[in-house]
Amino acid sequence: MSQMRLSFLLPLVAFGILALVGGMALYGTLSGSRDPTQLPSVFVDKPAPQTNLPRLVQTGSTTGNNVSVTMFQGKPVLVNFFASWCAPCRAEAPALEMLSKRVAILGIAYKDRSEDTTAFLQQYGNPFQAIGMDADGRTGIEWGVYGVPETYLLDSNGVVKLRHAGPLTRGVLETTIFPALEALGS
Amino acid sequence: MMIATGLWRTHILIGLVLLNMAIGLVFISATTTPAYAITAEEMLANPVLEERARNLSKQLRCLVCQNQSIDDSDADLARDLRREVRSQIAAGTSDGAIIDQLRAKYGDYVLLNPPLDQATLFLWLSPLGFILLGGLIVMMARRQRGAAIATELDAAERARIEKMLASRDSENRPKT
Repeated sequence: MSQMRLSFLLPLVAFGILALVGGMALYGTLSGSRDPTQLPSVFVDKPAPQTNLPRLVQTGSTTGNNVSVTMFQGKPVLVNFFASWCAPCRAEAPALEMLSKRVAILGIAYKDRSEDTTAFLQQYGNPFQAIGMDADGRTGIEWGVYGVPETYLLDSNGVVKLRHAGPLTRGVLETTIFPALEALGS
Repeated sequence: MMIATGLWRTHILIGLVLLNMAIGLVFISATTTPAYAITAEEMLANPVLEERARNLSKQLRCLVCQNQSIDDSDADLARDLRREVRSQIAAGTSDGAIIDQLRAKYGDYVLLNPPLDQATLFLWLSPLGFILLGGLIVMMARRQRGAAIATELDAAERARIEKMLASRDSENRPKT
């Protein structure tokens, strides 16, 4: 009698546990708190990597003038990796435009040609205070970028407070970017 | 005779199906060469260094495709990371130092073989836990079965059987 009860109950209990784990994962995915495409950044609460890149000037060529993150020391800054060849970067252009009124934005053109970047900015607007050209993507690797667009929020000491991979949608702005900006007093 | 020919037909049919499958397999393995993401110009000239690069690339995750190594993946980022690994090897960096550098940028997630630490403790120990759980279940099941077989008749059951046998004997007795 008790033997039959055990063999009867055990698969049921196992199924119950599986259903619970699956249900929790599904709930997380649907509510947006679990997103497998959002990898954690090791730089959060750590200083941003040293970055020194040739600066894009609007004529479409790069000058000897360089761009670095330390330029923005003393105030919060958004660092946005983008590219003219990246479709989601076009989609987030209005969001960056809006953010540029609240915080300084440093653009890093990832694996892009300066003439293409310039054409992109002419078409979709230029929310950036400065643009560095990361032609070979090495700077992207330094920052742990795994796909454009990616946005990092740095505090006034150059410490990374937040990384978002993917386009800045309204939902992302409201749930992550705005609260983080407010926490920095910006 | 009818049954025999029917069986023959089935045997021939099964044989043909198997033959077809075998031909298909031979054809597939002959026409497809294993696809490598790596291109010839990426490779290092020194075969020993190239071997090290391949070995390292197989341990590193492509962060775009997530379940492929950078050695297998055709993604742009995978190619950039392969190039990074090779330029570091050419510069004389040790394998451990290259892995540590990439971990410092992309975190433990870049490793296909996760290290044992607090976050992965459950992952590493759960197989042991499942083996113990399985052993426990087997032991419980055996003890129950053993107990069921070993049980002797108790006095009440014995008395009941005696009574039943006695009543059957009295019923079967020829009437006089």
